[in-house]
Amino acid sequence: MECVVQGIIETQHVEALEILLQGLCGVHKQSLRIHELCLKSVPNLGLVASEIRLLCDLEQPEPTWTVRHVGGPMRGAGAEQISVLVRPMLESKVNKNALRLFNGLGYKLDHEQLRVGFAFHFQRGAQITVTVSSINKMLKLHATDEAVPVTPGIQLVEVTAPASSENYTEVVASVSSFCEYLAPLLHLSKPGVSTGVVPTAAAAAASLMSDGGGTK
Amino acid sequence: MVIRGQRLIMEAESSMQTIMEKMQSHQLRVGFKFEGFQYQLGEFRLRVGKVVPFGSESLRGIVMEMEYLPISSVEISQLIMSELFDIWKAALEKRSLPGHFVRVEPKFSEYGLSDQYTSQHTAVQYADSLAHMVPVDSSSKTMRN
Repeated sequence: MECVVQGIIETQHVEALEILLQGLCGVHKQSLRIHELCLKSVPNLGLVASEIRLLCDLEQPEPTWTVRHVGGPMRGAGAEQISVLVRPMLESKVNKNALRLFNGLGYKLDHEQLRVGFAFHFQRGAQITVTVSSINKMLKLHATDEAVPVTPGIQLVEVTAPASSENYTEVVASVSSFCEYLAPLLHLSKPGVSTGVVPTAAAAAASLMSDGGGTK
Repeated sequence: MVIRGQRLIMEAESSMQTIMEKMQSHQLRVGFKFEGFQYQLGEFRLRVGKVVPFGSESLRGIVMEMEYLPISSVEISQLIMSELFDIWKAALEKRSLPGHFVRVEPKFSEYGLSDQYTSQHTAVQYADSLAHMVPVDSSSKTMRN
């Protein structure tokens, strides 16, 4: 299970966001270069259509692969009340044969993308990860060296935290609390809920850049 | 995970089993438990266990895993492994026990595996062994819903 919020920020303000995150998280950022392949089951495979994602971490000396299955969001009156999306999520490290094996199981490539940016992993009431990345599409199949931004000038910010059915309310509270610190620069909400850029971003970014550091 | 028909193998964490269940694209038709003991015989390590289907007490077969510890090359270890297997078969024949051991010898190269023995080689051998355990009527059914 995981808790997730997303937002967008203009690329020109990413450096300011990085300064803010550095101050808040107290850890060094990690570079991010993930080739993400979204596979979908062929028709009539199984009772319901299903989707799986293969993530190839290209930042490592030797590319490493992960399989990720994300379930539907938690529903109900309680879920409507909270500003963070809670959903089942399972991952497994796999070896490089993953794509061929899932093709063999009846899963075909639906789309692929390359995420380039950075991430902060830290503990603040919960184990939180903030990723800031540009989403890039490949002009040729699997050609990660020839990727171009889907939305030039805009980057995606994701805040995620693992949770369980026993502790997700606490994790939600930790994520929500952390997101308030980022409010001057960007608005974070449940995936699928579009909020756009915040009007205070330019001023907040200018302040951060002139200060040369974030606040705790 | 092994797909014998397509000679595909993928190494994954144990969470992969739960992922497959969540995907609901493939249904478990038959599952087996391998349970037994491990023995050290000089430079050989033997694991011998009974094979029992999930939710059943009936014995489907016996599996013996033979490992020659000093050498990791599949090709080089073949001769000495064959000698021990022949000794084992001769010993069994003298006791007139029911059944007979069938040696599983998959072509590892077809799976893209090298001559250096790894856990993936073991997985391929267990997948081939399982194929001998599955009843004919279950094995002929499609594994898709």
